[in-house]
Amino acid sequence: MDEMKETYIQEANELLENLESSLLSLESNPNDGSNIEQVFRVMHTLKGNSSMFGLTKIAEFVHDLETIYDKIRQNEMQLSKPILDTTLLALDHLNKIIIDSELEEEDNQLNHTNLIAQIHTFIGKSGSVEKKEDSSVETEQDVEGPITYHVMFAPDASIFLDGTNPLILVSELTGLGKNIVIPHFKAQSIEEFNPLDCITFWDVFIETDKSIDDIKDVFVFVEDSSTIVINELKYTNLVSNKEFGEYVSSYMFKEKSIDVNEINELADKVGESSVKESSKAVEVTPVKAQTEAKVTTKKEAKEKVLSSIRVSSDKLDELMNLVSELVTTQASLTLFSQKNESPELEVISENIEKLSRRLRDIAFGMTLVPINNMFSRFQRLVRDVSNSLGKEVQFVTEGGETELDKSIIETLTDPLMHIIRNSLDHGLELPETREEQNKPRKGTVKLKAFYSGISVYIQIIDDGKGIDAEIIRNKAIAKGFVSPEQELSDKEIFDFIFYPGFSTAEVVTDISGRGVGMDVVKRNITDLKGSIVVESAVGVGTTLTIKLPLSLSIIDGLLVEIAKVNYIIPLSVVNKCYEVSNSEMKGNFNKLLVLDDKQIPFINIRREFGYKQQPDEEKSQIIVVSDADRKVGISVDHIVGEYQAVVKPIGKYYKNQDFISGATILGDGSIALVMDSHKIIDLYTEHSKLETK
Amino acid sequence: MKAEFSNEQAGGETKSFLSFKLDNENFTIPVMKIMEILEVPKITKVPQAPNFLVGVINLRGAVLPVIDTRVKFSMSPIEYTINTCILVLSIEVNDEVIEVGALVDSVSEVFELNEARILPSPTIATKYRADYIKGMIQEDDHFLMVLDIDKVFSSNDLESISEYKEEKLDETQD
Repeated sequence: MDEMKETYIQEANELLENLESSLLSLESNPNDGSNIEQVFRVMHTLKGNSSMFGLTKIAEFVHDLETIYDKIRQNEMQLSKPILDTTLLALDHLNKIIIDSELEEEDNQLNHTNLIAQIHTFIGKSGSVEKKEDSSVETEQDVEGPITYHVMFAPDASIFLDGTNPLILVSELTGLGKNIVIPHFKAQSIEEFNPLDCITFWDVFIETDKSIDDIKDVFVFVEDSSTIVINELKYTNLVSNKEFGEYVSSYMFKEKSIDVNEINELADKVGESSVKESSKAVEVTPVKAQTEAKVTTKKEAKEKVLSSIRVSSDKLDELMNLVSELVTTQASLTLFSQKNESPELEVISENIEKLSRRLRDIAFGMTLVPINNMFSRFQRLVRDVSNSLGKEVQFVTEGGETELDKSIIETLTDPLMHIIRNSLDHGLELPETREEQNKPRKGTVKLKAFYSGISVYIQIIDDGKGIDAEIIRNKAIAKGFVSPEQELSDKEIFDFIFYPGFSTAEVVTDISGRGVGMDVVKRNITDLKGSIVVESAVGVGTTLTIKLPLSLSIIDGLLVEIAKVNYIIPLSVVNKCYEVSNSEMKGNFNKLLVLDDKQIPFINIRREFGYKQQPDEEKSQIIVVSDADRKVGISVDHIVGEYQAVVKPIGKYYKNQDFISGATILGDGSIALVMDSHKIIDLYTEHSKLETK
Repeated sequence: MKAEFSNEQAGGETKSFLSFKLDNENFTIPVMKIMEILEVPKITKVPQAPNFLVGVINLRGAVLPVIDTRVKFSMSPIEYTINTCILVLSIEVNDEVIEVGALVDSVSEVFELNEARILPSPTIATKYRADYIKGMIQEDDHFLMVLDIDKVFSSNDLESISEYKEEKLDETQD
């Protein structure tokens, strides 16, 4: 059972995530019918799952929520901001109670009651008369013998004090069948009025095939203190009768309950005449239409569930390991077949190569998730935080299709959340201030992800007030991190932000400064083998750039040789290859080569890596690689060919040689080192800086 | 030979040790720490690495960093002979177990010894850093040094095990 519960929670989490993103896109496109459909469908699936697991509290709650969207879907209600706000709150609540399904925690219980009341006001808003149509969904099965009851429910004035919400009881009652609800108020003068007292009581007409005991059950907890009268009426179809409806509606908000005798008299009048033909005939069609609609949504939901299955990450890891081994073995096979010069063997080996390449891509794709999943979570954060701060924010995401390892994404969520909070709280100015500075009223926070080499970059860009390097510097001096004489570049100064105990915010708000400092952000990112850099200009904005490894343990690479050592350059960065003579490189002081009429800076790797012996051949190969937006040539001795490299870590001992991102084992058992071209270029530019000094 | 290490004293656990040579000095480490002993395969050097890191090797599909133990101990770099071999060690660094290959001049033997027989290393008159040496074992007229390999190999810096580097260099010059 526990396992099943776990499955339920996993699924529910996914559904809720899905729901959240649909709601947010609904917010930006309120008229998009497909979004409403989507919201409704997800709620419906969640409701189904919950009741399947016997979690009735959740199921009922979702049912109420779903009712709102069902109405919107059928244009009976208009989508509004309060509805969305409530739904989002309800979503948060659901996130909590899928674990605490019996509402054992007091907070959850309180929340639950409040939210249900709120939801009910929305459902009630469109008029209690309309409710009968909505609830007709429930009466799909009322084929024979429904009985109409009149229920008068007058809760004790002190009912609120023991934490009971009478609305829940009413809604539970209306869940039993077609109904008309007529609320009444006990009139009180303003002097007598006590806001803690319940002054509302209800007349409910309900048509159901449930027994009178079921109705009594609803009130089982309040029957001692409240007045409950249940009468069975003579006619069964009164609830659907228009005339009857109009008559009882006229009692709405009156101080007096509807007299049972009066009802029976009225029922006598309208009962015989119109009930049979009109109401039945009218009602039948919509009910049917609705049932059909339900069937189709169910089907779609089912298709969605079937399209994915859950696999434990252990199994995926194992699969990845096996694929890695397969790729390595396949390399040996290729080598062997090349030596043997047997055409048949060559064909087999080539086929296996193709297959293993495809297998590798698929196995890989399984562990990767588009970063969008995470981005949509932030949409919500930005919305809530900017609302509470009174700031107007446009949240832009770019490159959501960029894929990253699932575990990396999970670890990254908290740091990114912190950074975005910071941007919203300390970065962006208030709308008025922005207008004074001739900036658009709405601030922009942009979240951007893109690939470069075997890394993924994530940038958080805001157009807020920026960080004043001077302030940071002074603070760093005050804190004793640096001596006043020391000259520092802006980059180095901004790095102080990540020092433990360094905060420039004068006021700690509840939004930022919740204990997760930038030092923790940095540590989290470093743990992922990533790095983080801050750039900022006062008045213009701040950009934080996070660089992360792709976790691609198998890459397509170009196998090259430098001083008899094999290296792999990731094929994704390789642009073009050229052949140049060594003399051309030697006499070249400004380290530029003209290739295809373009000046391209180059790095003499032989020299940078400190290989002393001269190359055997006259010519070197220049591999032009892209690094961010520039192109740089890297000189190598030979190009061996394309190679699928299973990248393995070279261990902690080489942590200072991070321009080598790993090693791979070649078909003949020897080792090739995998270059990180980005780091090599960084290294090279630093070296040349030193030389010019 | 074994008899000499028989457990005369009570108390202490009997453990297996492996002894090996570095530049005519005898060292020993518990066998428990040694995963295997390899002949020297082709070593791929990682550019711009500290001297003692000679490179990486392919250990049945895994990449294993290899350390020139002699350089690590401030001796002259190892000269490859037929006896040179790699001890694959499993060491603990910050609660993490990592594997590393240690190049040694030759391995001598495996013997059993009661831990109680390990003598505390004299704090004076030793030329090695005290925290790298767990103790000494006397064998005939010479001593075997028991290394604390977790400490020796956990530091990434080119730290010398010898406290008197200059003196040692002088000796070799003599």
